[in-house]
Amino acid sequence: MSRVRLVTCAAAILVVGWVLARPEAARAVPSAPAASDAAMVSWGDCGDCHDVLAAELGSTHHGRVGFAMKSDRGCETCHGAVGTTAAHMDDPENPEFQPRMDKLSTEQQNATCLSCHENGNRLFWHGSKHEGRDVGCLSCHSVHSSQSEDGQLQAASQTEQCFSCHKDIRADIWKTSHHPIREGKISCTDCHNPHGAQSPKMVNAVSVNEQCYSCHTEKRGPFLWDHAPVRESCLNCHTPHGSNHLKLQRTSVPFLCQQCHSNTRHPGTLYDGFVVPTLENPETGSNRLFNRACLDCHAAIHGSNHPSSPYLGH
Amino acid sequence: MRANKAITGLLGCSALLCFVMGVAGTGAAVADEGFTFHLDPLVIENLYTDVDTESAKFEEYRDLGTGFRLRQLDLFGESEALDREMELKLRNAGRDDARYMFDYERIGKYGLYVDYNKIPHRFGNDGRILHVRTGPGRWEIADPVQQAIQDDILAAPTVDFAFLDGLIQPYLAAEADVDLGLRRDRTLARIDLAKDRTVSWMLELTHENRVGTRPFGASFGFNNVEELPEPIDYDTSGALVRGEWVGQKSALQFGLRQSIFENNISTLVWDNAFRATDSSGGSAYLAPSGSSRDGSATGFADLAPDNEALSFFVSGRTRFASNWWANGNASYIQMTQDEPLLPYTLNSSIEGVDHETGATFQATDVTALPVRNADTQVDVLSLSGDAGTAFGEDWSLTFHARYYDYSNDSPRIEFPGYVRYHAVWEEIARVTVPYAYTKQNLGAELAWDVTDTTNLALEYDLESWDREFREIESSDQDSVKLSLDSRPNQQVSVRASYELVDRSIGEYLTEAQEFSFVEPEGINNQPGLRKYDEAAKDSDIYSVLVQFFPADVWSVSFNLSGQKDDYPESEFGLLSDEVKQYGAEVSFTPGARSSFYLFGHLAERDVFQKARQSGGSLSTSPADDWTIAFDESNDMWGLGWTGRPAEDWTFDVTTRWSKSDGGADFTTFGGTPSSGRPNGQAVDIDNYEDIELLDVTFKVDWAVSERFGATFWYAYEDYTIDSFILQGLRNYLPGALLLNADNGDYTANIFGVQMKFSF
Repeated sequence: MSRVRLVTCAAAILVVGWVLARPEAARAVPSAPAASDAAMVSWGDCGDCHDVLAAELGSTHHGRVGFAMKSDRGCETCHGAVGTTAAHMDDPENPEFQPRMDKLSTEQQNATCLSCHENGNRLFWHGSKHEGRDVGCLSCHSVHSSQSEDGQLQAASQTEQCFSCHKDIRADIWKTSHHPIREGKISCTDCHNPHGAQSPKMVNAVSVNEQCYSCHTEKRGPFLWDHAPVRESCLNCHTPHGSNHLKLQRTSVPFLCQQCHSNTRHPGTLYDGFVVPTLENPETGSNRLFNRACLDCHAAIHGSNHPSSPYLGH
Repeated sequence: MRANKAITGLLGCSALLCFVMGVAGTGAAVADEGFTFHLDPLVIENLYTDVDTESAKFEEYRDLGTGFRLRQLDLFGESEALDREMELKLRNAGRDDARYMFDYERIGKYGLYVDYNKIPHRFGNDGRILHVRTGPGRWEIADPVQQAIQDDILAAPTVDFAFLDGLIQPYLAAEADVDLGLRRDRTLARIDLAKDRTVSWMLELTHENRVGTRPFGASFGFNNVEELPEPIDYDTSGALVRGEWVGQKSALQFGLRQSIFENNISTLVWDNAFRATDSSGGSAYLAPSGSSRDGSATGFADLAPDNEALSFFVSGRTRFASNWWANGNASYIQMTQDEPLLPYTLNSSIEGVDHETGATFQATDVTALPVRNADTQVDVLSLSGDAGTAFGEDWSLTFHARYYDYSNDSPRIEFPGYVRYHAVWEEIARVTVPYAYTKQNLGAELAWDVTDTTNLALEYDLESWDREFREIESSDQDSVKLSLDSRPNQQVSVRASYELVDRSIGEYLTEAQEFSFVEPEGINNQPGLRKYDEAAKDSDIYSVLVQFFPADVWSVSFNLSGQKDDYPESEFGLLSDEVKQYGAEVSFTPGARSSFYLFGHLAERDVFQKARQSGGSLSTSPADDWTIAFDESNDMWGLGWTGRPAEDWTFDVTTRWSKSDGGADFTTFGGTPSSGRPNGQAVDIDNYEDIELLDVTFKVDWAVSERFGATFWYAYEDYTIDSFILQGLRNYLPGALLLNADNGDYTANIFGVQMKFSF
């Protein structure tokens, strides 16, 4: 039994024992603050005092007049009816009566948003990695003062929003080989669903490869001659967020290929600095080391349909 | 294929109908009620760009050429009845990287979204080849040139570098430059019906055309490596229909998705620079050289075949009992490809030989193939689900399970042999190998709210693989992860995790390499080699992010992450791979008139791998071993400063600097690979991708009035690359006719003036 499994089994036994020994207490599912007709106040009522907030909201989807077609409760749609409203208006400085979202727990904030936005790509929010790690809607979005063109995000763009936590990825996209993320032609959500997915790493498709095939359809095959690791995961050879090696390779060719191939003759050959060509002495160079290296001959590395190409040549 | 195209056609017609209905509805609205429009903003820009080289890297994914562009246009309109909205957005209109978006919504009823996105991808400029493109998939060399080169080679007493270099250079010098690059033109149209209702529908149609060229290996042999621009003309069409039902406690999504890929240039044919007439010989794949000057006059490649994928999916979630929830997804994907096969070769001098009967046939004859079409098919069944509950005051438990079955139903096709490098018939019967696998995950997570602001979670996952036709038929990977998320107060936030991974494998079948041979040829891979994607592995993965918000105007963060993969049972191949990353960031916003940030990120990666040099037979001598230790460091720094010295003036400075410095240290042990090297020692590579990019942008905004503003900006970019794999490239190196397209160093100065209007 592996060390990991051993540790896990021991922990599981302890947990199950503890759970069984402990009387269950139902946990209340938080819900959005309830609206009530009796206490409803208009946009204008709130805007009288909160003019800056109202102005900011006016430029967002929630502030447009068309929003009234979806909800006639104005600010109370999110902030709830404040049986406390009257008290708040009587005593606006009293924090007890201020219907501020940041007074709510993350779960309560999420419940407020999800009361309208639980459809579409939020289907799997409940149980998602972000939810599990206490990342809430308001961790990324701002209803009143968003900075982004789309998605009402706190940051200026979707990528910047993601990079506020995923800082390693921010460094990756500045590497020389990268997807056009920093140029703004694609963004994180083209591949990932931050609101939750059933797939690992919250990719939009059911597997990494299906995700990659959505843009790189020519590599989908199935081919007459396949390269097995390609079919299992594109990430075996590529690192999608950025690389210093050509074509987002994890390690540069030919060394990447030699991490799996050490056969007789050229797959096991040493390609060191001695066979790197120089302009002064070009004939010492090995054509298996420079430029496309292995891929100049094994050009169809993702798979080939050619009867003469069992070695994925053409 | 035909039936599936019918589905796409049906979906397309439905979309068109809906679109027409939507537009008709809009027209009525305009006529009856009118729209109120706001143009905010309209940004017109004039660029002046100065770049010191022709490097394609400068405009790899963008278009920054000198001249005017419509940088931005945002037009928003709403009907007087307040029940309709529309939005038109243009970015970089008219440029290679333009994007156009249109959104129309009849609130609560339907919405239409159309997006047209152009994405350039430039690979290299000013490449040089002897060939001229004479057809969609045809690269030719002028017959007299091809013949003259062949005649000179056949007449030469010695064929070596000096001879070939002298022979080729004058011809290359006379050729025109070739730029390599692609452009993706993506169109998406989406219709949402009853988006906010209990039952809603969505129809999405996509089309992408990819046109251009990219570098391609078109070699004729070990001593005749050629690179050519691969002509690209792809069309990918997609359709998605999705229905959704959202109830009080449950929701369900279901849909059908189709994707059709069509390659309008399915075959590439190109002339051999060194042969004008077909010939064959036992060593022709080594030509041109002292051992042979034979070969094919033309090469040909089967480019990416047309293919399609059709998928059905059902996803759902529910809450049940008092506090349980469950999510699930079931997807079935069918991927098919049935392209007609090409003949073994275009070299008319090659005769094929049936390995069983000894009968010969013309290898250029497509009727000699055992089958005429690829007829491949893969069926993927993906099932996944998770469920969880909360118990006690502070605990929650989640279970997850995934099943992914990649079932390859393609037939095993037996070929009597193959043509090696368009040059020689190899009487080695081969059979196609339909790789297949099943991956299963099973796990659970226990989470504990230690306090109202601190959560601790322990997660376990078991990942099992079962494969067909690979070295490892079965493996189990256990991982356990401990996560901590805490925000003890408004000033501090801590997120940390540590994961331990252990992958154990079953028997390693070294004979797997023979699965594609009809008759055993003998194993020639090192038996101690373990392919890292399947090999036994131990990993440690950790991540820490600490954020401080000591005051409203300050924030500081530190991050640390790393992963170490060890392959304890591998004697050759990848043995270890470790990455460590550190970062810090500070931002300061003293008031509405100023903000500042600075961040730094350092990363170190160490990779170690081992191989053994063999000749014609497999070496068993440890003296023939050699190793590489890669050391890569990546540093990145960035700063930004925004200020508002006066009410109408704002300036903004941003800088990014990234630097990569890598080295490869080689070690030999006195055996074959050491021979010929100075002092019998391997030579290290110091420039294992040394790259530096500095990007400084300075921008000044002047709000002239409420409706008019001006922006002046300047950007400086400096990119340098020193790469072992690109250094010293020259036509004609021994056995290489390279494109040598420029994607290297550049220094660029870009000046922009923008005028911004709002109406």
